[in-house]
Amino acid sequence: MAFIEMKDIVKTYGSSVVLHGVSLSMEKGQVVSIIGPSGAGKSTFLRCLNHLEIIQKGSICINGQYLARMDAEGNSVYAPEKEMRKICLNMGMVFQSFNLFPHMTVLENIMAAPVYVKGMTREEILPVAQRLLEKVGLWNKRDFYPGNLSGGQKQRVAIARALAMNPEIMLFDEPTSALDPELTGEVLKTIKQLADEDMTMIIVTHEMAFARSVSDKVLFMVDGRIDEEGTSEQIFDHPKNERTKTFLQHIL
Amino acid sequence: MTDYIIQILPSMIEGLGVSAEIFALTLVLSLPLGMLLALVRISKIGIFRKIAAAYIYLMRGTPLMLQILFIYYGLPLIPGMEVQLGDFSSAIIAFVANYAAYFAEIFRGGIQSINRGQYEGAKVLGFTYKQTMWHIILPQVVKRVIPPLGNEVITLLKDTSLVYVLAMNDLMRVTRALVQRDVDTTPFIVAAVFYLVCTFVLTKILDRIEKHYAVYEE
Repeated sequence: MAFIEMKDIVKTYGSSVVLHGVSLSMEKGQVVSIIGPSGAGKSTFLRCLNHLEIIQKGSICINGQYLARMDAEGNSVYAPEKEMRKICLNMGMVFQSFNLFPHMTVLENIMAAPVYVKGMTREEILPVAQRLLEKVGLWNKRDFYPGNLSGGQKQRVAIARALAMNPEIMLFDEPTSALDPELTGEVLKTIKQLADEDMTMIIVTHEMAFARSVSDKVLFMVDGRIDEEGTSEQIFDHPKNERTKTFLQHIL
Repeated sequence: MTDYIIQILPSMIEGLGVSAEIFALTLVLSLPLGMLLALVRISKIGIFRKIAAAYIYLMRGTPLMLQILFIYYGLPLIPGMEVQLGDFSSAIIAFVANYAAYFAEIFRGGIQSINRGQYEGAKVLGFTYKQTMWHIILPQVVKRVIPPLGNEVITLLKDTSLVYVLAMNDLMRVTRALVQRDVDTTPFIVAAVFYLVCTFVLTKILDRIEKHYAVYEE
């Protein structure tokens, strides 16, 4: 079985279906990008993986552990609360809107989860926090509050904060969509660096050039379905599907 | 005039002491109770939410004076209850019960004003609901609720004068007794100065707290 296996995910809000049986299978160390027009269900699909959205049908399995199984009728049955928490701790997530904690300094943002969730001491986590902040180039901003940082800096802190929990998988939900164009570069550079270190990543993005350069696999989603999937070359250079072609022509 | 003020000062200060005691004790007890009530008020369990809402409606919908009188005079008359509380206990219970309801609504507003993204940000880092509330949400709520809370705190200071209905010798009742005894309005002026000084100090303290939280922007 693949490292991450999402099978036939169906997600509904009341009577409207947002995901019509979407599947994803990827190996450890791979980078998968999800592209497509707004409202296609890209973010929703990503958020199903770490239980920010509840699925109705389908199964989710990460590293051999089931977050949700399918019963005989195909309905999803979630694992017990504790088990889900454990599975989800293996995934870090970066949001479009950063979601940094505004009442904590940059350093406190990084150290909060290791201290409160993992029960580490400040002395244990401080060197880790320092290494991560140096990696994203923000150690000198450690005593700043998020409100005093630029969008790009905020997002780099958010990446460092997620990495501080030492996850095996990183999820990026439109990490540069809220940024001014001149600030996207620094964030993409950080993500690229993670890709080079063989971090397993799923990235929902509108940055086509970036998706192309960083991804092992690209999913093109439309209307809650995967319209086409393949390697970067297949999707960007030789798209088979008309929708994919039109979309890429419009955006590139 | 000065002699008269010096003469009435000791009994007025004593009255102020009673008022201050009610004020401080009410605050210390009703703030945490109000927070608890707010959390119940937004609980996922419908019946808890409804009970909290009903309680808040009752406390905000009836006069505080009625509540004070009910606890002191009303409770002993209820068959099977027959508890006669002292005047001080009655006053504290009524004040705490009433103010917790007002504080709860302020806290609820504060909690619900926090962006959903904060809960998600905490959840993906592995925080439990309790940890999220305690470490992430409530510290931010405190900053937002200080201005409306300050209003209530200042109102409470003046509401303490309601205990005169239980014949407790708070600042206001002592003042009134002096005015009636001496047929002189000076005690009113002195009382007003007392209240103003207290309010001034409270305002300063609230400013301090606001400044403390101003270190971060949202």
